[in-house]
Amino acid sequence: MKHPWRWIVGLLVLAFLILLAVLPGGAKEEFEVASEFQREVLIKLPSIGPFDMSVTKTVAYLWISVAIVVVIAIIVSRTLKVHPGRFQYSMEVIYELARDGIVGSVMKSGKATWFPYIGGVFVFILVSNLVGLFPLPFGEHHQVATANLNVTLMLAFFTFVFTHYAGVRKNGAVHYMRAWAPAGAPPVLKQMIWFIHVVSEIFRLVSLSVRLFANMVAGHAIFAVFFAMALIFQSYLVGLALQGASVLIYMFELFVAFIQAFIFAILSAVYIGGALDQDH
Amino acid sequence: MDAEAAKELGKLLGAGLSMGLGAVGPGVGLGIMIGKALESIARQPEVAGDVRTNMFIGIGVTEAVALYAFVVALILIFVA
Repeated sequence: MKHPWRWIVGLLVLAFLILLAVLPGGAKEEFEVASEFQREVLIKLPSIGPFDMSVTKTVAYLWISVAIVVVIAIIVSRTLKVHPGRFQYSMEVIYELARDGIVGSVMKSGKATWFPYIGGVFVFILVSNLVGLFPLPFGEHHQVATANLNVTLMLAFFTFVFTHYAGVRKNGAVHYMRAWAPAGAPPVLKQMIWFIHVVSEIFRLVSLSVRLFANMVAGHAIFAVFFAMALIFQSYLVGLALQGASVLIYMFELFVAFIQAFIFAILSAVYIGGALDQDH
Repeated sequence: MDAEAAKELGKLLGAGLSMGLGAVGPGVGLGIMIGKALESIARQPEVAGDVRTNMFIGIGVTEAVALYAFVVALILIFVA
């Protein structure tokens, strides 16, 4: 045998795993996945009208991501150089992705007008998704800004409003709405198609917001379930295996955070571009 | 079985079935779509960028269907 050490190390690892499996787990702990979805008030503030102004953990995440976006934008725009450094170059990559990859590849006209909104939405969602992967040191539960339907519905609402604003401003209200049904169809069919189109416009709002919300919630729910399983099984072996698995899930979540920001921005560009250049 | 337990059973069973069955269709759809996109990239590598962008749009739209099922499952467990 050439390398007897390998066998000894392998046997030691095996013995360690068996020991872990046999060893009784830590103290019995109760874990409720449902409690992860409860709103938790950090600073209690009086409500104005129907709006509760209290600061929750979601609001804290929102402020942190807004602060990061604003600070990065100010630093980059104040220190622009002809020969970019490492930081400026990486920001330029994101800028070019938003300009050429998202707006440039989807929209035909109005690129310069709508790039600020779409690029801003892309960067904001990307930053708040990535910030959400870091747990904050206060509060009990993990509630990320984009894993909250209120935040994503507001973002989708902006896209909805801007879509119709862009369409009405470019084509005129009557012409814009008339183009929702094909011109050559018989009258009854035309009305039905028009109605279906209106429903689909409203459902864009739902699909755009629920997609981002559900992706983020699903990612964090997987973490919660993995950590809960380590507590439920009360075994060090399961805990160790789940720690390794959750590292892999974490890497996948980094990918999902980017992809969801990209998809939100590109669908916004598709909708606004479709309202500007109506094809029928 | 009393009514309370039956209600709980129905909720959990419905949530599990909605997520499981709701993932079937989007899974098949995503597989077909990404496969076709890879096929077309392999055939015409010079349009890879365009195909990839459109593939991601399609992924976003298709995957949302599975996420509706996920939201329905969450509503069944925690709200209903």
